[in-house]
Amino acid sequence: MPALALSLVILFVSAPIFWLLKPHRSLWFAWLSALPPAAITVWQALQLPAVAQGNFIAERYAWAPTLGLELALRLDGLALFFGLIITGVGACIAFYTAYYFEGEPRQGFFYLVLYGFMASMLGLVWADDLLTLFIFWEGTSITSYLLIAFKSDYKGATEGARRALIVTTAGGLAMLAGMVLLGLHVGSFNISEILSAPDIATASITPVALVLIFLGAFTKSAQFPFQFWLPGAMAAPTPASAYLHSATMVKAGVFLLARLHPTFGELPLWFWTLFLVGGFTMVLGGVSAIRYTDMKALLAYATVAVLGTLVMLLAFREKYAYEAFVVTVLAHALYKAPLFLSAGIVDHATGTRDLRRLANLARAMPLVAATVVLAALSMSGVIPTMGFLAKELMLEQGFQRIEHGEAFVGGLMYAASALAALFMVGAIVTLTWEAFFRRQADEQHPAHLHHAPSPGFVAPALLLTLLGTFGAFFTGVYENLLFAPAIAAISGESTALELKLWHGLTPVFLTSLAVLAVGVGVFALRNRVRRAFAAVPEKFSSLAAYDALIDAIYHFAYRLTTVIQGSPMAPQVSVTLLAGVAVVVYALFFATARTSVLLDSLEIPSIAEWLIFALAILGALATVRARSRLSAIISLGVVGITVTIFFIVFGAPDLALTQLLIEVLTVILLVLVFFRVRPDPSVEMDKRRAFRILVAIAMGFFGFVVVMVNHVTQIGESISPYFLEKSYSLGKGANVVNVILVDFRGYDTLGEITVLGLAALGGYALLRSPQIHKLRRRIVAARSSASEDGAQPVSSIRQEATEVGHD
Amino acid sequence: MIEIYLRLVDKILTPVILLIAIFLFLRGHDLPGGGFIAGLVAASAIELTILARGTQATRDRYGPWAVPLAGAGLTIAVGAALLGMYNGGFFRSIWLEFSMTGEKLKFGTPQLFDLGVMFVVVGMAITYLLRLGEAAEAAVTEQTRLGRQTEDRQR
Repeated sequence: MPALALSLVILFVSAPIFWLLKPHRSLWFAWLSALPPAAITVWQALQLPAVAQGNFIAERYAWAPTLGLELALRLDGLALFFGLIITGVGACIAFYTAYYFEGEPRQGFFYLVLYGFMASMLGLVWADDLLTLFIFWEGTSITSYLLIAFKSDYKGATEGARRALIVTTAGGLAMLAGMVLLGLHVGSFNISEILSAPDIATASITPVALVLIFLGAFTKSAQFPFQFWLPGAMAAPTPASAYLHSATMVKAGVFLLARLHPTFGELPLWFWTLFLVGGFTMVLGGVSAIRYTDMKALLAYATVAVLGTLVMLLAFREKYAYEAFVVTVLAHALYKAPLFLSAGIVDHATGTRDLRRLANLARAMPLVAATVVLAALSMSGVIPTMGFLAKELMLEQGFQRIEHGEAFVGGLMYAASALAALFMVGAIVTLTWEAFFRRQADEQHPAHLHHAPSPGFVAPALLLTLLGTFGAFFTGVYENLLFAPAIAAISGESTALELKLWHGLTPVFLTSLAVLAVGVGVFALRNRVRRAFAAVPEKFSSLAAYDALIDAIYHFAYRLTTVIQGSPMAPQVSVTLLAGVAVVVYALFFATARTSVLLDSLEIPSIAEWLIFALAILGALATVRARSRLSAIISLGVVGITVTIFFIVFGAPDLALTQLLIEVLTVILLVLVFFRVRPDPSVEMDKRRAFRILVAIAMGFFGFVVVMVNHVTQIGESISPYFLEKSYSLGKGANVVNVILVDFRGYDTLGEITVLGLAALGGYALLRSPQIHKLRRRIVAARSSASEDGAQPVSSIRQEATEVGHD
Repeated sequence: MIEIYLRLVDKILTPVILLIAIFLFLRGHDLPGGGFIAGLVAASAIELTILARGTQATRDRYGPWAVPLAGAGLTIAVGAALLGMYNGGFFRSIWLEFSMTGEKLKFGTPQLFDLGVMFVVVGMAITYLLRLGEAAEAAVTEQTRLGRQTEDRQR
């Protein structure tokens, strides 16, 4: 049974079904919404024993075989480990969402995107083909954009969403380039084949490909210097933040690195990049978390720190690093998601997430407080939580390195881990204390509790946090089912695991205690720490650098447009025409592959033809000499009509018809346009007149030359006879022009009408805005003359404006 | 005063021009004509209505179709090309031929494609003509209003 593909299809299909069900009508939909991910979780859990034995499930579907594209899915230990987190946490989030958006009519849309995201994420971790992975990767980028921008009338949400989208898709494109390099080198995009290809780690393209893939992974997983998009993404609704920005999407980059680890992990490039970038991100995120008083921003920086930790752990190829990696991934998902969910509950109940306005919530919502305390214990790494186990293993890794004589790497890692950890302890204790236990809020206007959360609202968070807190007791039950296969996939060799909570009074344990103690000290000094951070100027942040870059792009586009199109019409047209002349001259000089065709006989034009020539020239002269615009337009029409007559004389009725109609419509359009565009009195018409005459003559002359050259020379066989001959037999039409348009050259026409359709849309949108501007001007005018009599009331004009805006 | 004559012309000529458009479209595959030309002819008929009766009346007459027509045309064109998949590939033509009262008739996907072209051309032309016409009308009203105001002040 194609279970993997079926799971993805279930998620993709249930997304629109949920949308149509209008789930905001009843809280019972919470159960229904959790059902599909929960079912997939159960199915995955049932696969654990088989996968632990090394029996992987693999499915391959041809997609575009001629392009070598296929949809390849493979459930190995790593895919199963991440897949379980995605659907397991996903089920809790789906349940929670029903309460969070209680009665909100757009809830169904949220579910639509959430399920789409879940399916993309699941496809990403199950993918066994780089291009499959890339497509699901982009799927997560797009759905997360929609989720962040869910409150689309709030500017912070749309800005944060756009920033996240630009950063992650830019990284994704770089990653695609890296993947293509790898795939072309190996001759296959199948991940298993690439990883097992001989000498791939030492191939010449590998460093380039790896750096490009790093860019993709680092942007997605918010590593320095790209970490700024993650706090901005906190404008998303809380279920989305809890799901995407703690448990799943940001781990996609980490997942990809883990996927590539067995083959590329031994390269020095791999080690130093991951070690330094991950380590720095860890310290940066951990230390700066405490600065923020918005609960979600604080948690976002703590997430950045954990992502840095994970990347740093992947630099190593040792037992403790692997163990620390898998335990940290699970522990983080199980404590960070509940913390976010609790922040959402607090926001829901009091209307704010600002720690300065919160206090003493434990009395009103004891269950939430219990959840947060348990999750905070795990996050701080207090024995016996899963967070403790994760931190212990990470410090052990550093300690082992020191013991083996690599004091620099080991010491750096040990110190950085301890530093980041102690600040995170300070941050999370601050959050817990200030929001839930202290008596008095900092500010004069403390938040008021609107209503206490219902048990169903808290249940998902509590469930996750209980798993994370007490799961460490029972590692013996699942460590060889869940962790060991994942480690086998990351390291490339299978080992058995034996995780222990208590190692005795080792140096590592003492460090752990010291971190806790100093962390509480940081908490005690939190106001000083915050003040110290507030003194750091904004311009040193990478957000400022990003904004400066985007501003520079806009500025450049603006300047370029000013140069090319900012001037009055005449210089713009001169630029275009001169460019045309340059192209023609270039073509004439360099197109050598031409054979000249001798004209059989030069016919002297008849008197009628001479008359048409004369009419055309007269029309052109009249256009140039015209005093008013209207007469210029009409004279131009005369020129067009003479061209039409040419077509008739030389037997091209289709062209003649088209030309005639276009002429008529152009004259009308021009008249309508000039109704709007008043002559600008500041433009001196006679300035640079000589130059413009020169440009016009040059264009006319070179146009003439092109026609003549085309007429007397030939590049290859003419295709006209072919069309004339085949028009009826193949195209079933006697009108060759039409057959070419709709049949032989159908693709061309399709392209052209697409452009026409887009032009129609553009015209529809652009041409109405001046009216709105005009109405705005009238509003201003009406305001200024409000005291005078007879002025139109402002409200009625505004009514008009909205009508224009919505028609 | 002119408008009355224009309205008369519109009343008589617009249906005729539209019929001509259909005629040109139908014969297009064998004789001069075709979707592009027919679309332009139809657009000029609509422009006549705009000039004679103003944009509001034109909108009332053609309005709901005007803008979606371009999209519908694109859809029809792509659909016609997709129908060719039945005959072995994108854009492969399919023809049905039969004779009726001695006249041979034929219908094919290229003609359907041509219909799409015609719709796109008409849709785009109407969009622009209506929008620009509205702007021109607004300019005229503004001018008369300003003129009236200055007259009032002079009085």
